[in-house]
Amino acid sequence: MPIDSTVLANERVPVDALTDPVWTRIRDLIYQVSGIYQAENKFHLLVRRCNVRMKAVGSRTPREYLDFLTERPNRDAEMRNLLNEITIGETCLFRSMPQVEALRKVVIPSLAEVKRKLSYTKLRFWSAGCSTGEESYTLAMIMLEESQKTLKGWTFEIMATDLNERSIAKAQEGIYNDYAVRNVPPDFKKKYFTQAGSNFRVADCVRPLVTFSRLNMLDDSKMLFMRGIDVIFCCNVLIYFDGKSKTRTVNHFYNALMTNGYFFLGQSESLYGITEKFHLVHFPGATAYWKPNEPVLKAGSA
Amino acid sequence: MTMETFDRLRSRITSIDSMPTIPVILRPLLRCLDQPVEQIDITRIVELISYDKTIAAQCVRMANSALFGRHKQVESVRTAVMNLGMWRVRDLLFSNSLSQVIPANRWIVDPTVFWRHSLGVALVCRKFAEILGYPDTEKAYLAGLLHDIGILVNSMVAPEEFRAAFSKATREQIALDEAERATMGFTHCDSGRVLAEAWKITPDLIQAIELHHDIGDPVRGGPLVAMVHLSDLLCRLRGLGYGYYEPRQVDFANERGWLYLVMQFPNLADLDLARFTFTLDEYAKEVEELVSTVFTR
Repeated sequence: MPIDSTVLANERVPVDALTDPVWTRIRDLIYQVSGIYQAENKFHLLVRRCNVRMKAVGSRTPREYLDFLTERPNRDAEMRNLLNEITIGETCLFRSMPQVEALRKVVIPSLAEVKRKLSYTKLRFWSAGCSTGEESYTLAMIMLEESQKTLKGWTFEIMATDLNERSIAKAQEGIYNDYAVRNVPPDFKKKYFTQAGSNFRVADCVRPLVTFSRLNMLDDSKMLFMRGIDVIFCCNVLIYFDGKSKTRTVNHFYNALMTNGYFFLGQSESLYGITEKFHLVHFPGATAYWKPNEPVLKAGSA
Repeated sequence: MTMETFDRLRSRITSIDSMPTIPVILRPLLRCLDQPVEQIDITRIVELISYDKTIAAQCVRMANSALFGRHKQVESVRTAVMNLGMWRVRDLLFSNSLSQVIPANRWIVDPTVFWRHSLGVALVCRKFAEILGYPDTEKAYLAGLLHDIGILVNSMVAPEEFRAAFSKATREQIALDEAERATMGFTHCDSGRVLAEAWKITPDLIQAIELHHDIGDPVRGGPLVAMVHLSDLLCRLRGLGYGYYEPRQVDFANERGWLYLVMQFPNLADLDLARFTFTLDEYAKEVEELVSTVFTR
């Protein structure tokens, strides 16, 4: 629950507690399994999250916890619990401003430029693993803004899918608490939300712009139907997949994207070792994977 | 820039009284550091530091800071140097003495922003050198640290023009060298070369200063230039730039500098660039600590 992470955020971790070299091994293990990277300057967060799990499983030291995390039979379940803990409270509207800025200032203008030349004025987005809809509505609000400024007369489509039907039902309601809207810029909050008691409801002009549906990303037959997308967001979902499923799903994403399309992961997630078809591209404060004209071999490997 | 234009720029810059002069401590320090790590004379470095009360105090303060502070209070310069490590002391000395190159009221770019960027590029450049197996990692560090010294020259010798160029870059969200070229007819890379030559800095460092924005096609100047170029780009994309948003997309694996380095050091092709990028955020803390030590008077 989001409230937990507020409590956790206020809990201070003593500097000495961060110096145990086992944390680095836990960090590397998490990266190897999930692709999520915890930079050393964020170790206090990693330690807090691990402390929660250590209490839950009764580990007294980081070393004991590392053993618990790597030994059968508990390792898979515990890694999932830890990943849940790490990504807890991450879901909110306008979660990553660098990603939002990259989308508005670089990605959309560059896609629009290519499409204008083809006299095609439509953009399609897919929020894969949309959970309770925060990311999808963020996209809708950004596109509403753009359609009044740089993309007048354009149409856009936002598909949002998730495995969990309860999440989808909640997403469709579009009602969020204070914590979920904490990053929303004030002018967006004023324009695109209405107060509903102590909560905020996504405005009627925004909600119809997103089509929510249930989709299992491991269902090949369904994934094959997703085509012609310009930008895919899939944040902190693939981290739960094993290597094979991850590769298969990322291949589906690749095929679903138009040439020149973009694939955004969570802010510290990477596709290293999963596929080399995409190009990793950098924007200020954010990275994404870009689909080139032809899959290109890695530099130097020709 | 043609030779003739460059000569004109050089005489314009060097004839101005306000041309930055090399800080007293810097020449012996550069000499001291321009030798293999194991031959560096710590006693000489401690002696150099002790000449300058401000720097000596900063070393002691930093050694006692949260990042390095241990249980026992550090009081002597020598202990501070030993606790901080040779390279952090060197960072302090450089940042401090170079900050004194121009008076506080003549900075056009915020000096803390300038140092954050220079130190960030230095750290990333050294990391690149380590990954590549480039033989002189400290040279790479120094090249990163000094790459933008042309900004100091521009602030001193052409303040109004440079102010206009910097404000154009910020306003139009374009690279600084592009704005300088449009406004001033020369860039901090050109003026940096003039200063580096006047200070008699080694030729490979001069090339890194001159070519870090425009590395040439084919790449001029060798791996050091390419490393500084890429480190500069990475820092600008990871919050250690000049404090304004540059809306751009960089595909590093297809950057000319990257492709050049892959040819020279094939192991670069296997680098997990995403992870490397995420680790850059770790430098921010180190950079902050140093910058706040130098600028807290």
